[in-house]
Amino acid sequence: MKRIDLHPLPVRVWHWINATSFIVLIVTGVQIRYRELVNIMEFRNAVDIHNDFGFILIGNFFIWLLFYLFSGKIKLYIPELNPKKLIAGSINQAKFYGYGIFMGDPNPHHPMPDDKFNPMQKTAYLAIMVLLIPAQIITGLLLWDVKLFQKWTTLAGGLKIVDSVHVFLFLFFTSFMFVHIYLATLGHTPFAHIKAMFTGYEELEEERHH
Amino acid sequence: MLKNSVVQNALHMPRLNRRGLPGITGYGSFMEGVLKKSEGIECRGLNSVWALLLGPLLGMLYVVFLPLVFLLFVLMVLPGMVMAKSETVELQGDSQICMGCHVSHGMTKKFKNNEEISISVDAKQLVASVHSFLGCTDCHQGISMGDHPSGREFKSREDFVASTAKACRSCHSDETLMKKRMHYQAITQAKAPPCVECHGSHDVKRVAQWKPSLDGNQYCLTCHKKNLLSSANGGKESRTVNEAQLKHSVHNNHKCLDCHSSFSKEKHPIGHFANRRSQSIAFSDACKRCHADKFKMVEGSIHFSMLKSGNLNAPVCTDCHGFHNVSPKATYETLSGVPCKNCHKEVFSAYMESVHGKAKFSGHNNAPICSSCHRAHDIKVTALTGKIKSACLGCHKNAEDLHRKWLPNTALHLDNISCAVCHSPDAGRGIYLRLVNKDTGEPFTEEQIKKLLGKNYNDFNGKMSPHGGIDDTALYNIVGRLNKKGADARVTFLGRMEVGKGIDAHQLTFKQKAIRECDRCHSANSDFFKNVTVAIIKADGKSVRFSAKQEVLGSLFAILPVNQFYVLGSTRLKLLDFVGVLMVMGGAAVPLVHLTIRKLTAPIRKRRKEGHK
Repeated sequence: MKRIDLHPLPVRVWHWINATSFIVLIVTGVQIRYRELVNIMEFRNAVDIHNDFGFILIGNFFIWLLFYLFSGKIKLYIPELNPKKLIAGSINQAKFYGYGIFMGDPNPHHPMPDDKFNPMQKTAYLAIMVLLIPAQIITGLLLWDVKLFQKWTTLAGGLKIVDSVHVFLFLFFTSFMFVHIYLATLGHTPFAHIKAMFTGYEELEEERHH
Repeated sequence: MLKNSVVQNALHMPRLNRRGLPGITGYGSFMEGVLKKSEGIECRGLNSVWALLLGPLLGMLYVVFLPLVFLLFVLMVLPGMVMAKSETVELQGDSQICMGCHVSHGMTKKFKNNEEISISVDAKQLVASVHSFLGCTDCHQGISMGDHPSGREFKSREDFVASTAKACRSCHSDETLMKKRMHYQAITQAKAPPCVECHGSHDVKRVAQWKPSLDGNQYCLTCHKKNLLSSANGGKESRTVNEAQLKHSVHNNHKCLDCHSSFSKEKHPIGHFANRRSQSIAFSDACKRCHADKFKMVEGSIHFSMLKSGNLNAPVCTDCHGFHNVSPKATYETLSGVPCKNCHKEVFSAYMESVHGKAKFSGHNNAPICSSCHRAHDIKVTALTGKIKSACLGCHKNAEDLHRKWLPNTALHLDNISCAVCHSPDAGRGIYLRLVNKDTGEPFTEEQIKKLLGKNYNDFNGKMSPHGGIDDTALYNIVGRLNKKGADARVTFLGRMEVGKGIDAHQLTFKQKAIRECDRCHSANSDFFKNVTVAIIKADGKSVRFSAKQEVLGSLFAILPVNQFYVLGSTRLKLLDFVGVLMVMGGAAVPLVHLTIRKLTAPIRKRRKEGHK
């Protein structure tokens, strides 16, 4: 079985810190917002933990950003710049997830260290890392100390809008988690990708044609 | 020679005197006669010697002694004669008989209530009075030798005086008396002082005879210390001044006219004020003359605004300070002396049960009382403002630091929630949405709205009071409509959590009992968000309040008009929750559906795989 070094250590560390933070932030977020429905912990503790992990997530984001910028690996996230090719590639990938995978077709994309993400992953992850996570970080900061950032909040359209954006993204990320974890099980074995995220090495299924 | 002759002739005066004293006009011939006779004395021998000795003695008798006796007679006897004549002549009718006893000193009479009065009468006073021509029974009617009040009983001195004074009216007719204002109430009021209170009894005089000689306050108090009712306003208002109160007031060195400046010995304007209330209001000007600084503060107060807007019951100086009993400042800061409780009874009762009231009651004099938080003269509207918070923090200086130890976003909480919301745990609470200028944060007042909308204001105002309260679209339209009016009218609603009533704000309790549980607010089940009120502040600081639906706090339409009020968990957007459920369900459905299809299509893949093999 062929093994490729797909996930460098900083990426793995970043990923699992991110994953833990996401889960903690989602759980505490639900506890803060839906106090009358969920009662896992005290509101006050939920707020404190949410704030703490928010800052962990911020720090972690910069680990990701610096690693990818300085290693030059940021290009992994840059999708095909030719729109025709991008659309064609995306449709091809979507066809696989929506049809081919059921029929036993091979995945049109093979993750390689210099081409880790398929066209759909590239666009989605780029949007998440460059737009959604920063937006969540910024709105989270504005809500963390409302008085301190009052001017910015007002500029952004008011506390209610800032909070709505934060909550919308929280709901998106919650929803994303289901899809993300499910997709992670679509390796050649259900735990292949997940294992790779711990070890760094992705085991490639031997090609049928080989 | 001539000198000797005169002396000698003078010694012979007795003889001449037997013929009667010569008139002054005959003095010349009298002297000539003396000279002639003196020539004859030298010729009479021994008789002449006796005459020579006796003459000067008799002369002394006539010239010195008798005039002296006459003088003494005049000085001593005549006055007695005059008096005897007066007593017998001036005392009228039966008075002689009455005075036979009542002239004696030390006669007293006891009434039923054990009050004792002297019934001795000074006859001199009586005859010097304007009633010297009256007999005793002219006034003491119903008394005679046969029916003397030794057996008669009066309840009290007052009863006796009132009864006796009725006699005055038998001469002084009501019609005559009514013409004089001061006598009007004597006729019309049952409790008016009897005539003798002002005029005296046996020494009755015209008031004008003695009153002008009185000085300063005594001049006024002559009448006003008596049970005096105003003839104005149906004669129901007391004009009695409690002299003792006046003496104990901080104004005890003032003259009546210092405040009552439109009065003087010459001027006593009547009917100047429609009633006591209008007098009290007008009298603020008198206070202002000395206390201009305090009055300036009052002019900025809510009480003054109320007065200006036509509420004549709004308190003025005298309502709090009294008038003739103005006390030192400290008096008004005691539980017994604080004047606020006269109007704000329920609030004061709540205060008495509060941590502050209890502390004050138990002797902690520095515990706050009304004016400590609300100030004394420049009392402003405190609801929906941060003013009271400043007052709290004025004493509880470390409050913000103490809250910071456990309360996230401390400043935000302290800015938007009044202290009483948590520190009066049993209070009713609500959310107040205040219309403010978006740029300055200052209240956008009703007056500004009126100015902007002009005649459309009524239509606007009508929309503020729909049945069931203002809803989200109405709130959106209000802000939208005003924002269209230009840059000066960029408005928004700021939210604030307040206690429901003034009473609630005064039920402050010990801090151990204050609300600390975040869940009390930060839960959709919280009761604190059920009452929503839209408040438009008026120029004087008061507010016009309109009930709003609770939904406005969590409505999409309210995102823009109420964009700065958001409470975690409690005022969340309902739409976002709905979208969230869809998103999460969608996210969860993707793996489930995909997995299901994979399971269903597994045979296809199996066949293909086998086919390849």
